[in-house]
Amino acid sequence: MNASTITLHVPQRSKIAGRMDFFQMASGVLLILFLWAHMLLVSSVILSPSLMNGIAWFFEATYMAQIGGPAIFVLMVVHFILAARKMPFKQDEWKTFRVHARMLQHKDTTMWLVQVISAILILVLGAVHMFVVLTDLPITAAKSAARIQSGWLYLYLVLLPMAELHVGVGFYRIGVKYGFVGRSKRKWFQKTENVMMIGFITIGLLTLVRFMLLNIQG
Amino acid sequence: MNRMLTLNIFRYNPLDPDSTPRMQTFTVQEYDSMTLFIALTQIRDEKDPTLKVDFCCRAGICGSCAMVINGRPGLACHTQTKDLPAEITLHPLPFFQLLGDLSVDTGSWFRKTGLQIEAWCHSDDKAFDPTAEEMRMDNDLANEIFELDRCIECGCCMAACGTARMRTDFLGAVSIMRVARFYLDPRDKRSEDDYYEVIGNDQGVFGCMGLLACEDVCPKGIPLQDQLGIMRRMMAMHSVKGVLPRPLIETIKKKGCCHAHAQS
Ligand code: HEM
Ligand code: SF4
Ligand code: SF4
Ligand code: FES
Repeated sequence: MNASTITLHVPQRSKIAGRMDFFQMASGVLLILFLWAHMLLVSSVILSPSLMNGIAWFFEATYMAQIGGPAIFVLMVVHFILAARKMPFKQDEWKTFRVHARMLQHKDTTMWLVQVISAILILVLGAVHMFVVLTDLPITAAKSAARIQSGWLYLYLVLLPMAELHVGVGFYRIGVKYGFVGRSKRKWFQKTENVMMIGFITIGLLTLVRFMLLNIQG
Repeated sequence: MNRMLTLNIFRYNPLDPDSTPRMQTFTVQEYDSMTLFIALTQIRDEKDPTLKVDFCCRAGICGSCAMVINGRPGLACHTQTKDLPAEITLHPLPFFQLLGDLSVDTGSWFRKTGLQIEAWCHSDDKAFDPTAEEMRMDNDLANEIFELDRCIECGCCMAACGTARMRTDFLGAVSIMRVARFYLDPRDKRSEDDYYEVIGNDQGVFGCMGLLACEDVCPKGIPLQDQLGIMRRMMAMHSVKGVLPRPLIETIKKKGCCHAHAQS
């Protein structure tokens, strides 16, 4: 309800607010699934570089990388636009929330600030990462290793924990916001999510170590 | 262990042009089973009668003594000093209009918001017949409604909500829970469309960012998290009817917490 609907004397039957909320949630879910799949596929290099090469070849032969890659980028931008409606871009909103979070000392409230900051970092670093990888197809373990050994490591050392934090907190929040996880399961869900987050960051770091140690000449 | 308590209390009279916001320190001798309500009454009786604090029932029923206790909104009469450190900092609830010191006006906001969400049974405007037999209700359903009716409108949930602090037109968990209460009530004839009109927007269910501070501070333990989730899912699924396939909507609707005894 707002002033314009009162003066028009007609009930507002627009469903747009609900649809935007739903698609913000749905795009988040898809990105979470993507990130988990992505992490598992790339980490195949830990087992063997040729396994990773094989997987990469499969994704290109089926055009999943060429089409799926840009599609994920579009999904990321759509998700950002929908979620940014909630972000405290106005200075007074930002200040109010900061002061509030400091007063309350409440984990879920503070984690929202983490989500806002990690979102900006992922948007920029993720875009750079996708551009670099997708403009240099085919993906091979040797090319990735060469990239990471030539200084891109630092980008990944920021992108990895930021992406995992964002996705982890986002996963938890979708669960509670939409009532998929009720009061009785909240503690359990929080714990599960933390374990998953630590697990994924560990796998990611191991993958980076593997890339650092990979012999590029060989 | 009877400690000497130090209370740092926010003082400000917005009606007095000479008054500036400041903190004032009082000391109180603690005794067994002392509540914050007792400590504050003692300060007002013995040290400073001008201290503005609201109390009525001193039993967690009227909702008037809510304040920010060491950063957390809570009821003064419901808080024992033994559960707090020896140094206690008290602020008035944010979000609501300050009347002075620790006293805020929650009533005007609750009244305004109650009108906005139309917090009454909409019974198709049938004239009330005082001679007719009362409508019967299933006992389990009555209990489920009563669980939500226990809210004392203290305002702690609003003061703890980061969303409400940033966007002051946010209706908050308490209003959404209130709408859920009427949704459960078979005497309320409103349709999902009608409910969507009052809370299906960014001031209502879609504004909530799931911070769950409301859930964590509510002194009455009202199931705010569950009600927010149920209503948001219901309203969101209502909005995508015709966009998503019906079986998918039905599946999502049934996932997670639900109203156990709702009829419709
Ligand atoms: C479809 C687009 C994408 C493709 C094809 C892709 C591919 C890759 C590849 C091949 C690597 C290994 C390192 C390298 O070669 O430089 C990698 C690492 C990484 N990517 Fe992506 N990526 C994509 C999108 C994303 C997005 C959207 C995110 C963030 C949400 C992301 C986060 C990461 C992270 C954190 C790492 C480091 C992983 C690790 O340490 O295992 N990627 N990606
Ligand atoms: S829901 Fe809880 S915190 Fe909010 S006004 Fe009611 S009793 Fe107070
Ligand atoms: S869950 Fe929603 S209503 Fe409750 S504190 Fe968070 S944003 Fe506010
Ligand atoms: S005085 Fe009534 S709730 Fe505290």
